[in-house]
Amino acid sequence: MTPKTPIIHIIDDDDAARDSLAFLLKAAGFSTAEYRSASSFLANLPDLTAACVITDVRMPGQSGLELVVELKASHPGVPVIVMTGHGDVPLAVQAMKVGAVDFLEKPYDDVVIVRAVETALVGNADALAVHDEDGARDVKGRLETLTQRERQVLEKLVDGKPNKVTALELGISPRTVEIYRANVMSKMQAASVSDLVRMTILAERHR
Amino acid sequence: MERLWRSTDEGRDPQPPWGRALAPYGWAALLTAAATLTQIGLASRLDVHITFLLFLPAILASARTGGLGAGLAATAAGLVCALALMAPSGLRAEDVIAAGLLVALGAFIAVGGRRALAAQGAAEEVNRHLMEREAHLKSILETVPDGMMVIDERGVLQSFSQAAELQFGWTAQEILGKTISVLMPMPDRRRHDQYLDAYAKTGVRRVIGLGRTVIALHKDGSTFPVELSLGEMRSGGHVFFTGFTRDLSQRVAVEERLQALQTELIHVSRLSAMGEMATTLAHELNQPLSAMSNYLKGGRRLLEGENPQSQALEPMTKAAEQSLRAGEIIRRLRDFVTRGESELRPEPIGPLVREACALARVGSRGAGVKVRYALSADAEEVLADKVPLHQVILNLVRDAVEAMDRQGEKDLLLATKLVGKDLVEVTVSDTGSGLQEDVAARLFQPFVTTKGGQGMGVGLSICKTIVEAHGGRIWAQAGPRGGTPFGFTIPLARKVAA
Repeated sequence: MTPKTPIIHIIDDDDAARDSLAFLLKAAGFSTAEYRSASSFLANLPDLTAACVITDVRMPGQSGLELVVELKASHPGVPVIVMTGHGDVPLAVQAMKVGAVDFLEKPYDDVVIVRAVETALVGNADALAVHDEDGARDVKGRLETLTQRERQVLEKLVDGKPNKVTALELGISPRTVEIYRANVMSKMQAASVSDLVRMTILAERHR
Repeated sequence: MERLWRSTDEGRDPQPPWGRALAPYGWAALLTAAATLTQIGLASRLDVHITFLLFLPAILASARTGGLGAGLAATAAGLVCALALMAPSGLRAEDVIAAGLLVALGAFIAVGGRRALAAQGAAEEVNRHLMEREAHLKSILETVPDGMMVIDERGVLQSFSQAAELQFGWTAQEILGKTISVLMPMPDRRRHDQYLDAYAKTGVRRVIGLGRTVIALHKDGSTFPVELSLGEMRSGGHVFFTGFTRDLSQRVAVEERLQALQTELIHVSRLSAMGEMATTLAHELNQPLSAMSNYLKGGRRLLEGENPQSQALEPMTKAAEQSLRAGEIIRRLRDFVTRGESELRPEPIGPLVREACALARVGSRGAGVKVRYALSADAEEVLADKVPLHQVILNLVRDAVEAMDRQGEKDLLLATKLVGKDLVEVTVSDTGSGLQEDVAARLFQPFVTTKGGQGMGVGLSICKTIVEAHGGRIWAQAGPRGGTPFGFTIPLARKVAA
C-alpha cells in the first residue's frame, strides 16, 4: 500500500512570496496548493489526511494566527507552520502556543523550510517528530549548560516579556539582562531571538 | 433621664453610657442610706428627734450629678427612709409638715440640678465645637502649600506655619518672638521697620491686600523669590498682619522639569516613529527577499537535478524581478522619509548659536558656567531649517554643561568659522570629563549614553540625522582643553566670492 502523497498548502497574500515558496517546495519534491487568503483556504477546505499547512501571519482578513486556532479546533492533527516577514518574540511565542508546529522568519534558508515541512509531515498527528528527536535532545543538552540566571532570563523571554520587565522582575539591570540574553543565544546556538524561542518551545514539547 | 439629656442636647449626641447614667442614682441611694444610718446613730445616743434635714445633702449631691431624675429619686428615698424611721414612734403633725417641706425642697433642688447640668452640657458642647473648629482650621492652614505667618504691629512673629518652616528653613520654635526682618535680605530688612512705622502713623496701605513678588532670605543665607500676600487683623486693640508666602523658585523648577519632559517626549516620539518605520521596512523588504531566496534556492535544486537547463530559467527571471521590487520599496521609503521634512532657508548662524545656548542654560542648569563665543564674521548665513538646527546646538550645549557638572573649571566655548568656500563649522567645546575611547566610536549611534541611567542615548543620533539632512557632518574629538569638542558643518547660504 502506497501512502497518499502529502500536499503542502501555502497561504500567503503576497503573490511572489507564495509562488516562490511553491516553486521551492516543488523543486524539493513536494506537491503544493496555493491560497491567497485564510478564508479562501477554509472555504474550499481540501482533504487534509496527509497535509501540511504553511501560512503567513500578516494577511488582510483572517490572520495566520486566527487560522491556526480555527484549524486546530477542526483538524487537530494537521501540522501548521507559521511564517512572518517581521518576527518579533511575542508573535513567535503566540504562534507556538496556539499550536503551530514551527515558526519561521522570512527570509529563511531552503534547508530550514524543507526540513520543517518534512518534520511536520512525519510528526503529523503526534507532536513528537521521530527524526527530530535528535535535534530535540541536542537542544535539551544545550539547555542544561545554562546557568540558573540564564534559564530565568530565557523563561521570561519565551513568555514574551521585554528586557525591562524581565530586569524588574528578576531585580537586575536591563543591561545585565541583555548580557544574559546574549549568553543564552550563543549557548543555545540560536540564529535569532525567534529561533531561540522556537527551539525552546519545541524542546518543551518533546519533553 | 435619657429623655432629658436628649432635650438639652437637642438630640446632638452624647447618650451617656449606662454606667454613667446610673451612677447618680447609686450616689442617691448611698447618701440616703448614710443619712438614715446617721439618724439611727444619733437617735440612739441622744434623744434627737427625727429630722428631714439630714437627707438634704444626699438630694443636693444627686441632683447636681444626675439632674432631675436623680434628685427626685433621692428625695423619694429620703422621704421613705425618714417615714420608716418615724413610724414606730408615730407621726406627729410637724413631721408631716417637715415631710412636705422635704418633698418641695427636693423637687426644687432637682429642677435646679437639671438646669445646672443642662447649662454645663451646653457649655461643654460649645467648647468642644470651638476646639474642633480650631483643629480644623489649623489642619487647613498646615496643608496649604503657601507659608503663613502672623506678626504684630512691631513686626514680631506670632505664628509660623509648617509650610513656612519648609520654605525658610526656620522652625516655628526658633523664630517666634523674632522680628520678621530676619526673613528679608539686607536692603529690605532695614526698610521694613520704616514701613511698619509709617503705616502705624499714617494708616496708608501700601502692600496690604495686594500680592507682590519679593525676595526672601532662607535661614542658610540663600535668597529665593516669593509671592507675598498680606492681610490685616485688629483684635483687642492690637493690629496683626498675616502674610502668605508662595515659593516661586519651586514654580520655576516645575516649569523647567516640564520643559525637560517635553524635550524627552519629542525625542521618544521621533524614536518610536523610527521604530515603526524599521518594522514596516523589515516586513516590506522581507517579502521580496524571501521570494528571491526561494526562487534561487529552488532553481539550484533544479540545476542539481536531472534536466537542469530547461527549468531553471524561469526562477532566475522571477528572482531578478524580486530584487528590483526590493529596490523599489527602499526608494519609496526614502521618499516617504524626506518628503516635506525640512524647508531650508538662509539663517544667520550667530544669533542662532546664541539663542540655542541661552535656551539650553535656562533655569538653574549651567550655573557657574563661563560661556565664550568666537563667532566668525565670514560665516554669516547658513542654509538651514531653524528649529531642528536649534535642537542640535541645544543638545550639544546641554551635554557640554552636564559633562562639566563636577568640574572646577567650567568653560564653554562656542565657535563658528568658515571651512572651505561653502561650509560653516560650528564647534562646542567644554572643559568637562571627556570621553572614553570606546564610547567615542559609537557616540552617534542610538541608545549609546554616557549619562548612566539619565539619558536615553538618542540625542546625538538625532543630531547626526539632522545635520546630515542639512548636508553636513558631525563629529567629536579629544580636545586640547580636556573635554570633548563637538563640531558639525552646515552649508553656507551664499557662496563667498573666491
